[in-house]
Amino acid sequence: MSEKIVVGLSGGVDSSVAALLLQKQGYDVECIFMKNWEDDDSEICSSAEDYNDALDVCEILGLPLHSINFSHEYWDKVFSYFLAEYKAGRTPNPDVLCNREIKFKAFLDYALQLGISKIATGHYANVEETPSGFQLLKGTDRSKDQSYFLYMLSKKPLSKSAFPIGKIQKQEVRQLAKKAGLPIAEKKDSTGICFVGERNFRQFLERYLPEQPGDIISNEGKKVGTHDGLMYYTIGQRKGLGIGGGYGKSNSPWYVIEKIMDNNILIVCQGNDHPLLYSNIITASQLHWISGTAPDEGKQLAAKIRYRQKDKTCKIEPVNHDSAIIYFEEPVFAAAPGQSVVLYDGEICLGGGIIEPYVN
Amino acid sequence: MLYFDHSATTPIHPDVQSLVNELNQNIYGNPSSIHAAGRKAKHVVETARKQIATVINCAPKEIIFTGGGSEANNQVLWNMIYRNRKHVITSSIEHPAILAVLRQLEHLSITHTIVPVNKYGCVNPEDIDSAIRDDTGLITIMLANNEVGTVEPLQDIAKVAKKHDVLFHSDGVQVLGKLPIDVQELGVDMMSFSAHKFYGPKGIGALYVKEGIAVKPLIIGGSQEKSLRAGTENVGGIAGLGCAAEIVTKNLSDVGHALRALETQFKTKFSEQHPNIIYNGFEDNHLPGLINLTIPGIASDLLLIHLDNEDIAVSSGSACSAGTISPSPVLKAMGISDKQNLETIRISAGHDNTSPEVDQLVETMTRAIVNIRRNAR
Repeated sequence: MSEKIVVGLSGGVDSSVAALLLQKQGYDVECIFMKNWEDDDSEICSSAEDYNDALDVCEILGLPLHSINFSHEYWDKVFSYFLAEYKAGRTPNPDVLCNREIKFKAFLDYALQLGISKIATGHYANVEETPSGFQLLKGTDRSKDQSYFLYMLSKKPLSKSAFPIGKIQKQEVRQLAKKAGLPIAEKKDSTGICFVGERNFRQFLERYLPEQPGDIISNEGKKVGTHDGLMYYTIGQRKGLGIGGGYGKSNSPWYVIEKIMDNNILIVCQGNDHPLLYSNIITASQLHWISGTAPDEGKQLAAKIRYRQKDKTCKIEPVNHDSAIIYFEEPVFAAAPGQSVVLYDGEICLGGGIIEPYVN
Repeated sequence: MLYFDHSATTPIHPDVQSLVNELNQNIYGNPSSIHAAGRKAKHVVETARKQIATVINCAPKEIIFTGGGSEANNQVLWNMIYRNRKHVITSSIEHPAILAVLRQLEHLSITHTIVPVNKYGCVNPEDIDSAIRDDTGLITIMLANNEVGTVEPLQDIAKVAKKHDVLFHSDGVQVLGKLPIDVQELGVDMMSFSAHKFYGPKGIGALYVKEGIAVKPLIIGGSQEKSLRAGTENVGGIAGLGCAAEIVTKNLSDVGHALRALETQFKTKFSEQHPNIIYNGFEDNHLPGLINLTIPGIASDLLLIHLDNEDIAVSSGSACSAGTISPSPVLKAMGISDKQNLETIRISAGHDNTSPEVDQLVETMTRAIVNIRRNAR
């Protein structure tokens, strides 16, 4: 009997091709559609279309499709953290938590309870077994590499995971889908945070965190506008500040550089080359190392402080087992507290942490 | 395939199927046409009207054919916009085709009160009595609940309605073919039905409206159904509804006994192996063949996957259109915790189920539960 594997099928092209490739490799593939979000209006399921796409794919490939609802787990483990972080004026990344808590925990547990010991997803990343354990590697298609979102995983879930499209290019993924006659071959990639979907993010957040207007003050101490609530803004943000003309020296745009929570003040500066937007040093908390141990101190590493950013050369200096200072060779733009900093040694994703405000 | 999800829908009865097929092939006239082909079609529709009327003990003219049970419910509720007294009383365990419509109607200043249910899912007629206001124009309480099968005290509620001169509608979708329905005896003014719940075709339903009660159409734009439901009649579907109603009520007490026997067989055998099972709903006064049970520690969606893989169909919670399960609002209303809610499944037996099938169901469920417990860590 062939080996069983459960694919987390979202109805998108990546996970569909993951299922297709595993089927071709001779696996006994079972697909599970995960629903992680309940809309307020219980009569409308926004994920219904994605589910229909997943059904189509399974019908064509002749695979069984089940669905499970993780919205309770998602709310408890991911969304409540997401809200708390926003409330604290930070910019969390729910996807990294979703991977740790839902896809590679709750979902993996489900697979195990179904008696199946391996799961697969449509992530652009690779996993490799080495003498020192399982490693996470970047996706071969560098423009799609999703290892950034997977840095919170440990060796154990990695050892039970497969990323069938990790070694192929996105373009090829679409071609494979087309060749197999899958109707989702040209489906648009999902963007933004999954539970917000195509909705306006600000409006979404307003439902949970109501407006709290305050002053926008320039780095030179002048009031230049009014903000609607600090949680709606991110460090480095340019759009939507509503600072009219007549302020400042030039016509250059304004950028958010700091949020002062205690006084409800948003600090901005003018021009994207302003030194206050850049830092050579950041601190990271909640450090997690995939291998279980930190890399050697002083070793030259690379870091990403946001998804799809080019690697930045850096060195790290541990403060304790939970946090570290990261020194960059070149200054990095707008390190936003709450976002993840992910560390690499070449191909290998070592782990990472959460960016904290740097206190000099 | 072992099919134990008859409350979701039923397989079409073979006699109904062949009738519908034959009619769709041969009776193609428009019932509104005055030529022979039209007259034939009209005759088919009127025959079906008599059949369903006889089954529920009303006059044929008191039946409106609709596009299903949800449409029938919608017609009753949207008619509130024409009524003078614009307050509706309903219960917390009604179908979304009642509760969601009422939420929508709030935009049109039609208000409603939701009365609670007890832990068995049963409405207290006294609660309805005390919810009555000067502007109450309608009470709508289902005849039996689709998830736990609890049969509601319609006759007592009808008395309350009569006392206050308020219209009384009931969603009877789950009941036809399982328990006798006599609209006179129940004392309802309006009742909704859906053919696919009683071995008829999908997409066809009926609304009983007692003579003398004014209703207006929901679907407007044609003189069909005495201008109460526009659109060329679904002749095959209507005939299927009538034929199915007649078939399923022919030996109703035998069917009821058979369904109860399957239910008892399941409960006895299953409880032997799993002593900590909780059965939800009334033990006595519920739809025969419907079992709503909580298996502590076993997530229902996981159990459903196991059973699905063994080609067994049961259901759980309130399924959303994305195929996933959310905690059931009905069980919530009965005071059941979210955790227990998500460990609950519904088994609904039908005319076509047999005793060996029940044995197989018990055996497969037991095996699945053992597997789930073993794999959990």
